[in-house]
Amino acid sequence: MTPQGEFLSRLMRVALPGFAVLALAYLILPSLIIVPMSFSNQLYLTFPPPGWSLQWYGAMQQDLSWPQAAVNSFLVGVPTALLSVALGTLAALAVVRGRLRFAAAASAFLVAPMLLPHVIIAIGLYPVMLDLGLLRGYLGIVIGHTVVAMPLVFITVSAALRNYSESLELAAMTCGAGPWSAFRHITFPMIRMGVVVGGLLAFATSFDELMLSLFLTGPGTRTLPRLIWEQMNAYLTPTIAAVATLILAFSLLLLALVALLQRGRAAEGQAS
Amino acid sequence: MTGAQLAVQGLYKRYGEVQALAPTDLDVAQGEFFALIGPSGSGKSTLLGSIAGFVAPSGGRILVDGADVVSVPPYRRNIGMVFQNYALFPHMSVFDNIAFPLRMRKAASAEIGARVERMLAMVRLQGMGARRSSQLSGGQQQRVALARAAVYDPALLLMDEPLGALDKNLREEMQDEIKQFHRQIGATVLYVTHDQDEAARLSDRIAILDHGRVVQVGAPRELYEKPCNAFVASFLGEANLFAIQGAAPAIRGTALEIGGGIRLSTTRRWPDTANGAAVMACVRPEAIRLTEGTAAAGDNGLEGVIEDVVYSAGLLRYRVRVNDSCQITVRHHPGPAMRTAAIGERVALSWRADDTLLIPKE
Amino acid sequence: MGAVGLGRAVQTRSFAPGGTTASRPWSTTGFYAWLLAVPTGFLVLFFVWPLLRVIWRSFTDPGLGIENYATVFGDGPYLIVLWNTIETAATVTFICLLIAYPVAYVMARARGTALQVMAALVLIPLWTSVVIRSYAWMVVFQRRGVLNDLLLASGLVDTPVRFLPGSFGVHVGMVHIMLPFMILPLLSSMRSIDMTLLRAASVLGASPANAFMKVFLPLSLPGVNAGVALVFMTSLGFYVTPALLGGPRHMTAAVLIEQQANTYLNWGLAAALATTLLVITLAIYLVYLRLTGGAADAALAR
Repeated sequence: MTPQGEFLSRLMRVALPGFAVLALAYLILPSLIIVPMSFSNQLYLTFPPPGWSLQWYGAMQQDLSWPQAAVNSFLVGVPTALLSVALGTLAALAVVRGRLRFAAAASAFLVAPMLLPHVIIAIGLYPVMLDLGLLRGYLGIVIGHTVVAMPLVFITVSAALRNYSESLELAAMTCGAGPWSAFRHITFPMIRMGVVVGGLLAFATSFDELMLSLFLTGPGTRTLPRLIWEQMNAYLTPTIAAVATLILAFSLLLLALVALLQRGRAAEGQAS
Repeated sequence: MTGAQLAVQGLYKRYGEVQALAPTDLDVAQGEFFALIGPSGSGKSTLLGSIAGFVAPSGGRILVDGADVVSVPPYRRNIGMVFQNYALFPHMSVFDNIAFPLRMRKAASAEIGARVERMLAMVRLQGMGARRSSQLSGGQQQRVALARAAVYDPALLLMDEPLGALDKNLREEMQDEIKQFHRQIGATVLYVTHDQDEAARLSDRIAILDHGRVVQVGAPRELYEKPCNAFVASFLGEANLFAIQGAAPAIRGTALEIGGGIRLSTTRRWPDTANGAAVMACVRPEAIRLTEGTAAAGDNGLEGVIEDVVYSAGLLRYRVRVNDSCQITVRHHPGPAMRTAAIGERVALSWRADDTLLIPKE
Repeated sequence: MGAVGLGRAVQTRSFAPGGTTASRPWSTTGFYAWLLAVPTGFLVLFFVWPLLRVIWRSFTDPGLGIENYATVFGDGPYLIVLWNTIETAATVTFICLLIAYPVAYVMARARGTALQVMAALVLIPLWTSVVIRSYAWMVVFQRRGVLNDLLLASGLVDTPVRFLPGSFGVHVGMVHIMLPFMILPLLSSMRSIDMTLLRAASVLGASPANAFMKVFLPLSLPGVNAGVALVFMTSLGFYVTPALLGGPRHMTAAVLIEQQANTYLNWGLAAALATTLLVITLAIYLVYLRLTGGAADAALAR
């Protein structure tokens, strides 16, 4: 290598990781600002907070709309996850194993709702839900969230299916397993991880989703993101920081769960 | 226990414009070990897949013991199948893998236990029931696959290049095991492979496919000694093929022109060919005698220079150049006293007229 | 070895002997087509139908005709907002690519704890609510926020800088949100590059720079395509960050549409704007599909 080459490559060896560290810091810091802020003893948003207090967690507890919104987010998120898992798994099975001629087009269609702007879907679903009488109820928002969350399950389950050879199911068939038996005994155990991760991703999507919730929920079914949004536009107090910290903790729990599941899977694969 | 009788009638498969399998007829006797061989894309996997039920044929019938199974799903055809990549269920133990077909057919657990143990003994894997497939070697995995395919006494056993993923020594060992296994269970076996050696070692009869068509069916020796065309002749073993110039000779025993002033003599009959298709002379390398010096008198005497010498496991193969357009492969098992001819040496070749086969080009 | 047993008994039960008439061959296609029909039907009902209604509405509310589009594309702020949306999305995508590529490169070569830590740093923001993260940026950028405190303390400025509302805040916030969506596809595609190819290149005489440009970079393109498509399309439709940090003078399409629909109840105009946004986003999507050629789900799997 030329001396310039040497210098350049040594520069790269230092500069690149250094840059990466900066970028990753940029990524993580904002999330971390919230936490100390929620313990502020001030009445307005400051960082760093000059003093510490739990007043905002108290305020949050007293305002009844927060627990209600949290419950709603779960009442919407869990059914969304389940419905997304059901639909997404069916879709993945059909597209990856079905040997259908239009599989590529179907795949593009099934993924689209995740990629297109939620606002368009929202203003489209509003009149539809109105006509169906589902506006402001739980079913309406569950359907809306499923539309945008199902593609995620489709992607993760498809990936799990592509991860092993189709000949396993063919072998099961030659062993006398009908379609349901083959799914139950062979396919599902192999894709179980993809299904669970997809379900968690679907739940997280619903839990964090704002736009559809703005259009499709009412005061009784208001989810957390919507409540945060309304409060944020009304009064910017650190109560929101307290809520945000709790949500952050919960999200991290979910993330840890997913990471654990994936590591467990990998370890299982290594041990045997 | 006897295997099923398999008959394929007019079976064909078309993917749009492409015909993967031309209308095919086959008859496989009960308990026969029948091989399907051919280059890739010859349609052998399509044929096997149709019999298994994974490929929906475009037309034709598949008769197992007289009943047409074309509309029957694979899980009711009562076949066993062994795949090239073994297709063992990774999340199940060896025992559960082999027990799977029995469980699918709702057998009693006592019977399941007994049968699985019997199969494990038969494939010499006793005591390995608790292991996972990832803990087994390739050869062991293939034996589990065999056991699983045969555990419920299927009448028809299909094998799709089962030894393709194994190295050579292991392959030969497994070939012997498969042969023995077949004798023990007595099912009818349909065996797909691209390795003609393997097919010859294992099967009672072979069907050679090319471009979606069955070209010839017969016992290994019959196919080798009486190939029906140049493709079969060169696919099974090696063949020296010469294009014959000029029209068909009027009487037998006439010398055949193959160009370069070389004439070959034969005692064979001119084959019946569809409207003047080309005919080739075919001489097997082991029928040719190689001697020092100049051409001896007698039938089919030629001279040439040795271009290449290969010795492999007791077999000596020479490539001899006779002239610019003619090279001949000679093969024999040298006795310990015989010396290896050197490259560049002038040698004489000869063979009996009877060994010059006449076959159609296509 | 067990003679009659299971095999035979089941066999004679399974199919009728004889069978002289030709029967239709069994195939899985019908089964899987039906399987696909359920999720597809769901999407047609609750995804395609609503979209069609939006498009219909843009031409019929308040009256039949193209007045809404005339409003959108005529004089007025709407076209500017659309243009701003596209321009912001493009800028954000470009910046994300510039930042994400080196980060993904470093992560792709990392192993063990370093990799896990980096992965955590990318995934945690991803799993943190968008609303919360945008809120955090608000805290950073406000008049008495973190950034201003730092600038004042270091003496770089005398009075607090007005970052909010503004396009700078929107860009910084959006890049932050979108960065994981660019890093992950890049990382996935980089990790699947066979390192022996680079070794082969260097054996064949390529300098590290050349090996990178001629071997690594082209092989990482599928990830680049996926990341760019994903970030660009998501940025086009983004609501939270521009709404919170952008203010009325730096609106993006999603903010505008929501405002027209919910505040001004001008559903016809909202529908026209939405349709226009839909067309633009679909166009990008189709270009992306053409580029990847294969299954969209495989291309996006991370």
